[in-house]
Amino acid sequence: MSVFLKMNGSIILRSLDRFLVPFTIPRKRRVLCSGVLQRYLSSKIPAVSYPNKESTSPPEKLELDSWKITMKSSVQDVSADSGSKDEDPVVAMKELIEMWRLLGREVPEHISEEELKTAMECVSKSSKKKYLRYLYIKEKAKKARQTKKELKAATKEKAIKDQLLETTKEDKQQNFLFLRLWDRNMDTAMGWKGAQAMQFGQPLVFDMDYGNYMKPKELRNTVCQLLESEGWNRRDVDPFHIYFCNLQVGGVYHKELVRRYEEKWSKLLLTTTEKSYVDLFPKDSIIYLTADSPNVMTTFKHDKIYVVGSFVDKGTQKGISLAKAKRLKLATECLPLDRYLQWDTGTKNLTLDQMMRILLCLKNTGSWEEALRFVPKRKHAGYLEISPSSQEELVNRLKRSKTFNSFPKDSLKIHTQKRWLK
Amino acid sequence: MMTFCFTGIRSLPKLWKSNPYLGLGPGHSFLSLFLENCYGIRNQQKWFSLKTVSAQNTKAVNLLIAKARYLRNEGSSKQVSSDTHLFAAGAAKKRSQMNPHRKDDALPPMRNTIQLPTKPLNSEEWDRLKEDFKGRANFESWIISQMAQSCSSVDVAKSLLAWVAAKNNGIVGYDLLVKYLYLCVVHKQTSEIIDVYEIMKARYKRLESGGYTLLIQGLIHSDRWREALLLLEDVKKVMIPSKKNYNDCIEGALLHQDVNLAWNLYQELLGYDLIPMLKTLKAFFDFGKNIKDDQYSNKLFDILLYLRNNHLYPEESFAHSIKTWFESVPGEHWKGQFTTVKESGQCLGCGKTIESIHLSSEEYESLKGKIMKDVIDGGDLYKKTTPQELERFQNFVKCCPPFDIVIDGLNVAKTFPKARESQVLLDVVSQLAKQNLELLVLGRKHMLTQHSRWRKDEMKMVQKQASCFFADNISEDDPFLLYATLHSGNHCKFITKDLMRDHKACLHNAKTQHLFFKWQRGHQLAILNRLPGSKIIFQNIPSYDTVVQTTGDSWHIPYDDDMVERYSYEVPTKWLCLHRKT
Repeated sequence: MSVFLKMNGSIILRSLDRFLVPFTIPRKRRVLCSGVLQRYLSSKIPAVSYPNKESTSPPEKLELDSWKITMKSSVQDVSADSGSKDEDPVVAMKELIEMWRLLGREVPEHISEEELKTAMECVSKSSKKKYLRYLYIKEKAKKARQTKKELKAATKEKAIKDQLLETTKEDKQQNFLFLRLWDRNMDTAMGWKGAQAMQFGQPLVFDMDYGNYMKPKELRNTVCQLLESEGWNRRDVDPFHIYFCNLQVGGVYHKELVRRYEEKWSKLLLTTTEKSYVDLFPKDSIIYLTADSPNVMTTFKHDKIYVVGSFVDKGTQKGISLAKAKRLKLATECLPLDRYLQWDTGTKNLTLDQMMRILLCLKNTGSWEEALRFVPKRKHAGYLEISPSSQEELVNRLKRSKTFNSFPKDSLKIHTQKRWLK
Repeated sequence: MMTFCFTGIRSLPKLWKSNPYLGLGPGHSFLSLFLENCYGIRNQQKWFSLKTVSAQNTKAVNLLIAKARYLRNEGSSKQVSSDTHLFAAGAAKKRSQMNPHRKDDALPPMRNTIQLPTKPLNSEEWDRLKEDFKGRANFESWIISQMAQSCSSVDVAKSLLAWVAAKNNGIVGYDLLVKYLYLCVVHKQTSEIIDVYEIMKARYKRLESGGYTLLIQGLIHSDRWREALLLLEDVKKVMIPSKKNYNDCIEGALLHQDVNLAWNLYQELLGYDLIPMLKTLKAFFDFGKNIKDDQYSNKLFDILLYLRNNHLYPEESFAHSIKTWFESVPGEHWKGQFTTVKESGQCLGCGKTIESIHLSSEEYESLKGKIMKDVIDGGDLYKKTTPQELERFQNFVKCCPPFDIVIDGLNVAKTFPKARESQVLLDVVSQLAKQNLELLVLGRKHMLTQHSRWRKDEMKMVQKQASCFFADNISEDDPFLLYATLHSGNHCKFITKDLMRDHKACLHNAKTQHLFFKWQRGHQLAILNRLPGSKIIFQNIPSYDTVVQTTGDSWHIPYDDDMVERYSYEVPTKWLCLHRKT
C-alpha cells in the first residue's frame, strides 16, 4: 500500500483522502513512508497521540514553560482599560491591520485616515484584504524608489567630490554648436507637429462614454492608458488628430484627466468635446474598433475615422462596445490577430496605448507584421508564416467562432455599409 | 477537420489495433503517425510551421491528442451510458473523464530538506538547526509553519518557543504564538490553549480574525467556553464573523447544554445572510436525540425547510443524523431508509410520488418575465440582439401556434462532429415531425447560405417540416430559445446540449436561478446518441423535482453521496425516505 502511494506522490493521496481517512496505516508501515508522505498522511489522518507531557516527561528535562511567565508578566505597552470596550471602529480596524502585519500578512505599515475609511467601507472580508494588499504593494514600491533615490544621490555626491579632487585639469577652450536645450527643443517641435495634426491630421476618436461601466480603479487605469497613448501619438512622425468624444465636463472621467494633466490639460493639442462622434463625422466613414466585431480589419484606411472605446473591461459584461456600435449603426472591425499571430493566452482586448501604437505603425508603414510587434509577447507564440493562398483556409479554421469574411479589400466598405441598410 | 481526421484514422485500422496504450500514454508515437497521415495527405505540413517549435506548441499538440482520443472514444463506444442523466450528480465528472486531458503533474520540488525534529530540542540543537537552514525566509517562522503543516507534537513547538524567548529576552512574536496555538488546537491540548489565551489577552489589546478563530475553536471544549462568545463579539466589531466562527460557538453551546444560546446564535448567523455550514445543522440534529421537546422538534423542521428553500442537500453523514433523530422521536414511530426514486417519480422505499418538476403558474409567469428582463434585455437590448430583431421574433412567435419542441439548430447540428451539420439537423427534425409535433428551429442566418456543411436542399426540407427563425449572425440565439419555449407553455420542451449556465447567471437573485434550474431540468431534452439509420435517442426528462419535501407524515430528503462529486448544476440521486407508521 505505502509503496504504491509513494510512486504516485501526493496527487493520488489528495484524491483518495476520502478513502484514506477510514483506516489508519499500521505503525510499521508508516515508518516506511517518506517525509512528504508522512506529512500528507498525518494531516489527513487524525493525529497520532503523542506522549503527553504530564504522563511521560521528555527525556531531557527542558525548561519549556518559562517563556509563558515572562510573556504574561511583561507589562502591556498598550494596556486595555475596561473603558476602551466601546471604542471607535476605526481604531479597531487600525489595530486589526497591525495584528495582521505582525502575522506577516500583506498589509501596509502606515495607513492614512482616508485609506482606513476606504478599507472600512469595503463590503466583504475579501475585498478588505484585496484593498490592503494593494496598499501594501504601493507602499513597498514607494520604499524601493526611495532607497534607490538615496543611493543615486550618494553616488552623485561621491562623483562630485572626486571631480573636485581632479583640479589638475587644464581649462581647455571648447567649441560647441548647440546649447544643451534638447528637451525643450523636442517639446517645441512636437508642439508644432501637433498643431499641424490639429489642422490636417487624420482624426482618431476615443469614446469616453464608458464612465459608468467602470469602477474607480478601472477608471484610473484607463486614464493612465490614455496619457500613455497621447504621449506615443505626440512623439510620432505623423500624429493623429485625437478627439476625446462624449467627455462630460465635471464627470468622473474629466475630473481624473484634469487631475493627471494638471495645468497642461488646457494646452493639449487635441479636441475634447461633449458631443458624440456621430455628430462630428459622417456616419459611413466611422469604423468602431472592438475585439467582439465579426469583421476583421484587412487594411488601414486613411480616409476613415477610427473609434477606440476608452474602457478597461475587468467586469464580466461582454460586448458592451459592440452593442454601442450596433445601436448607432456603425461599421465595426477587429484587429486580425488570429491571422498573423499564433494566439496563446490572454484576452484579445489590447490596452489603449498598444492600440495607438499599432494604428500609428499601420498608418506609417501599412505592414501588419511591423504593427503587431506591439501586441504583448506573452499573449502569442510567434508569427504565423503562411502563404497567402492557404491563408483563408487556415484563418477559417482558427476562427471558428467568427464568421470571417473573405471580401476583397474595397468591397468591405460596401459590405459594412450594407449591413445596416435594412 | 474533424471529419477528416476520422477518415484518416479509419483508414488505418492496424494502427488502432497495434496501439493499445493509445488512451493512456502520452501518445507520441501515435501522434507523429497521426499528423503525417492527416496532414501528409492534404499537403498541409504548413500547419505547424511556426518559428518556434515544440515548447509553445504543447497546447496545440495536446488538443490534437485530446481530439483524437475523443474521436476514438466516440468511434469505439457509446457516448454516455444512459444511466447518468445530464443533471444527475456525477454526470459532469463522467463527461470530463471521457475526454481526458494530459496533466504533467509533478511533485513540487522539496526546497528545504531539513528534517523536522520529532522530539523537543535544547537551545544548542536549535542553533545548529538554524545554521543548517539555507532558505531566505525567517528560520523561526518557516520551521513553525512546517510544523503546523505536518502536525508536529506540541512539545517540539514549545521547545522552539522557549528557545526563541530565551534569545529575545522572553518575547515571542505574534505569528509564532498563533501557529503554536494552531498546533494546540489540532492536538486538542486545552490547558495549553488556555495558557496562550491568557498570554494573548495580557499582551495584545485586539487580535485578528485568524487568532480569534483558533481561540474560539479551542476554548469551546473547555470550562471557559463562554469566553469564546466574548471573542465572537470582538470579531463583530471589525467584520462579520465567518460561518465557521458561528459553527464553533454553536457547537460549544450545545456541548454545554445551552440550547437557547445555540438557537440565538443560529438566528444571528442567518441574520447576516450567511449560509450555515452543514456541520452546524447536523450538530442540532445530533443534539436533538437527547431532547424530548416539541419546540426543539419544530426548529429542526424549520432547518429542513431552510434546506428546501435554499436548495441545499445534506451530506451522507448528515442524512444519517437526520434519520437517527427522526427514529428517536418517541411515540411517532418514524421509519427511515436510504433509497432512490424511479423515473416515474415514485419513491422505491414507500411508493409515494415525489413532487412534480412542473412550476406553478405564478412561478412560471415570473420566470418568463425575468428571462425577458434580465436575459434578453439585460439593461441593453443591443448586447444580445436588436430591438428590430426582437420585434420580428415576438411577432413571429405570436403568429405561430404554440410549439411542442423548440430546437437549438446550431447546437443540435454540431452534436456529431463527423456528420454534416444540415444532415443531423434534418434527421432530428424529421424524426420529431413524424410524431406530429409542432417544431420550431432556431438558428442564425449563416445556416441558409450554401456551404459544404449546410446544404440548401436539406435546409429547405427542415423549413418544410418545422417553423424556423434565423437570428442575425452576431445575435445570440439561446435567449430566443428560452423565450420561445416559455412562451409556448408548460408542455413545450427544448433541445440543446448547452447547460445554459451563462444565461442562468444573468438572473439576479438566487431564487430565480433555482426556478430557472428547476424549469430547465423539466424541459430540456438532450440528444444522447444517434444510431445508424439516423434514429436519434433522447434523454428522458425526470418528472419529479429533487428537493427536500414533506407531506406531514412523510419526509423525502435527497442527499449527497460521499463517493460522488456533484457539480453545482447537478442534483443528487440518492434519497432518504422517512415515513410514520400508523
